[in-house]
Amino acid sequence: MPSLDSTAAQLTLQPAQNLERLERLERLERLEQRRRGALRLAAVLAAGLGGLVLLGQRNDPASATLHPDQPLTIGAVIALTGNANLYGQDQRLGLALARRWFQGQAAATPCGRPAVLRLEDGASDEASAMAAFNLQINRGAIALIGPTLSQQAFAADPIAQRRGVPVVAPSNTAKGIPQIGRFISRVSAQSSVIAPLSVAEALRRDPSIRRVAVFYAQDDAYSTAETAIFQQALSARGLAPVSIQRTQLADNDFQTPITAALQQRPDLVVISAQAVDGGNLIRQLRELGYRGQIVVGNGLNTPNIYPICQRYCDGILIAQAYSPELASPINQAFVRLYHQGHPDQAPSQITAQAWTAYQVLAEAIERLQRRNGFHQRTLAQARRLLNDELLAGRYDTPLGPIRFRADGEVVQGRFYVAQVQMQADGRRGRFTLVRDIDLDPSPAPDRRRP
Amino acid sequence: MSDALLQSLLNGIASGGVYALVALGYTLIFSVLGVINFAQGALFSLGGYLTYLLMGGRIGVNGALPGGMLPVAMPFWLALPLAAVLSGLVALVVERIAFAPLRRRQAEPLLSLITSLGAGVVLVNLLQILMGAEGYAFPASALASLPVSLAIGAARIRTLQLLLLLVCALAVLALTLWLDHSRSGRALRAVAEDATTARLLGINSDRMVRLAFWISGVLAGLGGGLIGVSVSLAGPYFGMAFGLKGLAVLVLGGLGSVPGAIAGGLLMGLVEAFVPSALSGWRDAVAFAILFVVLLLRPDGLLGRRAVEKV
Amino acid sequence: MIDHALLVQMLLGALLGLSVYLPLAAGQLSLATPAFYAIGGTLAALVSTRFPQLVGAGTGLNGADAAAFPLHALLLEMLLAGLLCGGLALALGRPVLRLRGIYLAIATIALVEIVRVAILNLPFTGGAVGIFGIPQVFATASGYLLPALGLLLLAGWGLQHLETRPLGLAMAAIRDDELAARCLGIHTLRVKLTAFVLSAVLAGSTGALAAHVFNTWNARQGSFDASVTTLAFVILGGSRTWLGPVFGGLLLTALPELLRPVGDARLVLFGLVILLGPLLVPQGLITPALLERIGRWRWSTGGKP
Repeated sequence: MPSLDSTAAQLTLQPAQNLERLERLERLERLEQRRRGALRLAAVLAAGLGGLVLLGQRNDPASATLHPDQPLTIGAVIALTGNANLYGQDQRLGLALARRWFQGQAAATPCGRPAVLRLEDGASDEASAMAAFNLQINRGAIALIGPTLSQQAFAADPIAQRRGVPVVAPSNTAKGIPQIGRFISRVSAQSSVIAPLSVAEALRRDPSIRRVAVFYAQDDAYSTAETAIFQQALSARGLAPVSIQRTQLADNDFQTPITAALQQRPDLVVISAQAVDGGNLIRQLRELGYRGQIVVGNGLNTPNIYPICQRYCDGILIAQAYSPELASPINQAFVRLYHQGHPDQAPSQITAQAWTAYQVLAEAIERLQRRNGFHQRTLAQARRLLNDELLAGRYDTPLGPIRFRADGEVVQGRFYVAQVQMQADGRRGRFTLVRDIDLDPSPAPDRRRP
Repeated sequence: MSDALLQSLLNGIASGGVYALVALGYTLIFSVLGVINFAQGALFSLGGYLTYLLMGGRIGVNGALPGGMLPVAMPFWLALPLAAVLSGLVALVVERIAFAPLRRRQAEPLLSLITSLGAGVVLVNLLQILMGAEGYAFPASALASLPVSLAIGAARIRTLQLLLLLVCALAVLALTLWLDHSRSGRALRAVAEDATTARLLGINSDRMVRLAFWISGVLAGLGGGLIGVSVSLAGPYFGMAFGLKGLAVLVLGGLGSVPGAIAGGLLMGLVEAFVPSALSGWRDAVAFAILFVVLLLRPDGLLGRRAVEKV
Repeated sequence: MIDHALLVQMLLGALLGLSVYLPLAAGQLSLATPAFYAIGGTLAALVSTRFPQLVGAGTGLNGADAAAFPLHALLLEMLLAGLLCGGLALALGRPVLRLRGIYLAIATIALVEIVRVAILNLPFTGGAVGIFGIPQVFATASGYLLPALGLLLLAGWGLQHLETRPLGLAMAAIRDDELAARCLGIHTLRVKLTAFVLSAVLAGSTGALAAHVFNTWNARQGSFDASVTTLAFVILGGSRTWLGPVFGGLLLTALPELLRPVGDARLVLFGLVILLGPLLVPQGLITPALLERIGRWRWSTGGKP
C-alpha cells in the first residue's frame, strides 16, 4: 500500500478533500485487511488439510496378526439411501436372514472365531460406495459384500482389489465385473445365460410369432446388457424387432412408447426393466389393449411387481436365476425364515442372491477355520487365503448349486422359466415354475475340485 | 388426420396436462415472491403417498411400520382432495421454515433455493424411512367400473390418463377463474404485480404469500395423487423427476405467467410425444433442448413478461 | 475418521465449489458446472482407456492392478479437458449469458440434462454402465492428493490475485450493479464470459482428475442433483470470497460420511443442514467481514489494534 504517512500528511494540508480521501483510505485498508485475512485463513486451511492428511495415514490393519478371540468381520456395502435403495432394502433382508441362519449353525457346532456382519450404506452413487468400501477395509473387514449397482462396483471394487480384500458382488450383473481383478467375484449370474430361455419358452408356446417389440430402460446397466442378449436370442431365431423403445428408470407414463410400438402390431413384447417401471409398462401395455405374450427380464423377478401391475401381471413369462419353488433344503430354510417376517410373500431374487453372497463367505471361512487356516496369519494373508478358498469351493445355495470360475465369475447350473399367476384379488401372486433347466449338469461336488 | 398423428397428439396433451399442473405450482410462488420452491417435487411425492394412505393402503415391508395402515379407507374421490389439502398444509410449513425467515431478513433470494432444496431432501428421506423405497400402486378397485381404455378413432387412451387430464384441466380452470374473479385471487395478483403498492392498498402480503404456498402445495398434492392412481408411486423420489420437468415448463412458458405455464406444459408434452421411436433415448434431451433454444430466442419465455430480476 | 480417499473427494468438492463461485462472483447464477465436469471426465475416460498414446502414455495398460498411467499424461488430460470445456463455454457463453437470474440458472440446468442424456446415448461412452477400468496413476488414493491439492492451490492463488486485478474488480462491480458497471465503461459481456469460461475450465479439469479417482465414469456423474449440491457448497461456505466455496465444498462433501454413525436418518440430517444453514449463517461461513477481522489481528497484542 502507498505510504500511509505521506497520505496522512496531505490530509492535514488540504482539509477540503479530507472526507473523500478518508473514505478511500478506509476502503483501501479494508481491502488490505481482507487480503491479509484471506491469506491467513488460507494458511490455516492448508495447515488443517495437512493435518488431515497426516491423520488420514492410519496404520493399515492388514499387517496385524489375527487375534484368536476376535470375531471376523464381513463388511456389507449396500444401497440404503438413494434410488437404488429399492434393491438395497431387499439385500439387507437377505443378509440379515443369512446371518441369523449361519449364526444359529455356528452356535450348534462352534468352530473358531465367530463371523460378524457389519452393514454400511453405499448409497446409490459411486463416491459413497467408495467411501464405504474404504471405511470397511480400514476397520479390518476380512471380506466385502456389495456394492448394489454395477456402476458403483466399477468405482469401488478396484479399491478392494488394490488392497487385497475379497469382494462378493450380490447383484452386479454388468459385463467385466469379475475381471476387475482376482479378488472380485459375484454370485449374480449374467443375463447372457438366463435371458434366451424365456424367449425360447414363448416361441415354444406360439411358434407363429413374427413381430416382436422390445422395450428397455436405457439408463439401467442391467437392462441395457440384458436387452442386447434378448435381441441376439431373437435374431438367432430369425426375428428382427419391429420396434425398439428406450425408456428411463424414472419414467412412469409409457403411453407414448407403447402406442408407438403397438402401431407395429407386435405379437410378442420383450421387456428389460426394473420392478417399478417394468410393472407400470406391463400394466399400461395391457390397458392399452395389447393381448399377446409378454416376456420380461430378470429385473422384474421380484414380488415387488405384484402391487404395480396387479392383475395385469398375470401370464408374463420370465427366466429366473432364482426360484422360491426350488425344493432343496437350504432354499426351504431360506424361504421359511423369510416367511417368518413376511407370511404372504415369497423372497425376491435379489434377496436370495444377498443371502448367497453371505453364505459363500461364511462357508469358506468355516472351512478355513476347520483346517485352522487363520492361525498366526496377518489380516492380509487371511484375506488372500479366504479369497482362494472362496473361489475353490462349491456351494449348495438357495440359487441351486453354484461354484466359481477361476476369475470369480459365478457358474450357476439351475435356471428356471416361470409364469406369473395372480390371485383373483389382483394383489397377490406367485411365479409358478414352468421349466427347470440345468445348464451345468456337474458331477458330485468333490470330483471337480481343483 | 392420420392415426399416428392423432395418437401422438393425444399422448402429448395427456402428459402435458401434468407438466402444466406442476409448473403452475412453481408459477404461483414465483409470481408473488420471485423465487423458486425446490421442495415442490417432494410435495408432489407427498401428495401421492398421502392419497395412497388415505385410501387404506398398507406400508410395505421395508417401511418403519411394515404392514401398518391408517384406520380409514376412503374412496379415491375423497382421498385425493384431502391429500391435496394436507400437502398444502405441509407447503405452509415449508414456507414457514425455509422462506419466511429469509424474507423477514430480506436476504438474497438465492438462499431460498438452497433452503427449499434442503426441505425437499428432508421430506423425501422422511418418506423413505417411513414408507420404504418400494413402489406402490393404488387398489385396482379405485375406478373399477370404468373401462380401462377408450378408443378415439384409431387412437387409444387409458381412462385413467383421461381422468388425470380432466382433473388437471378443472384445477387449472378453477385457479384461473379464482385469480381473475375472486377478491383474494385479485389481491394475490396485485401482490404479484407490485408488493409495495399492494401493501399501500391494504393487502396483507404475508397472507397472500402463504395463500400462494398453500395453493401450490395443493396443486402438487393433486398431481402426485393423480399420477399415483394413473400409474403408481415409484418410490419417494418419483416427484423429483416431475419437479425437474416442471421447472423446465415454468421457464418455457415464462416465469410467473399462468397461461404460460399451461401452454408450456402442453408444448413440452407434445414435443416429447412426437419424438420418433428411433430417437426415444433422447426424449428428455429434446425437451430441454427446446427449452434452451426458446430461452435463447425469447429470453423471457414464450408468454413471459419482461424479466423480473429477483433472483 | 477422514481417510485419504475421502479427502480427495472433499478436494474435488472444493474445486467444484470454486467453479460455481466464479460466475457467481460476476453476478451470474450458472449451474452448468456438472455439465463441464461430466464432459471433462468423459474425455479423460475415453483418452485413457482408448487412446492413451494421445497423452504420451503407453498402450496395453491394465485398468485396476497397474499403477502405470504416467502423471504427466494425467496432467495433459486435465489440460485437454480444461481446453475443451473452455472452448465449449466460449461458444455457448455468448448467447447464454444474455440470460439473467433464474433464466440463466434454468438454461444451464437444461445444459446439464442435455449433456447427461448425450453421454447416455452416444455410441462411444458406454451407455448406462459407462466407461470402466480407467487406468490408475497412483497405487493408492493418497497419490491423488497431489494433483487435487495442486489444482486447488493453483485455483486459489489465481482467485486471490484476481481480487485486486481489473478483471476481478470488474466482476465485483457487475455483481453489485450490472447497469452501473456498464456505465463505468466495463465491457460486461466480456467479463461475464471470462468468468464463465474459467469456471468451465476448472470444472473440466476437475472432471478429468475425478475420472481417474473414481476408476469409472458414466452419465450419472453430472446431473441436476449435482448442480444444486455444488450450489449449496457456495451458499453455505459463503459466496463473497473464494475461501467460502472451498470451505463449503470440503465440509459438505465430508458431511454425509461423518454422519454415518446416525444410520438411516443421515440424509435427513444432511437435508436439515442445507435447510438451516442459510437461515443461521445467511452470508455463509466465510464472509468478507470475517476475513477483515482476521486480517486485523496482530500477533503481538493478539487483539484489534
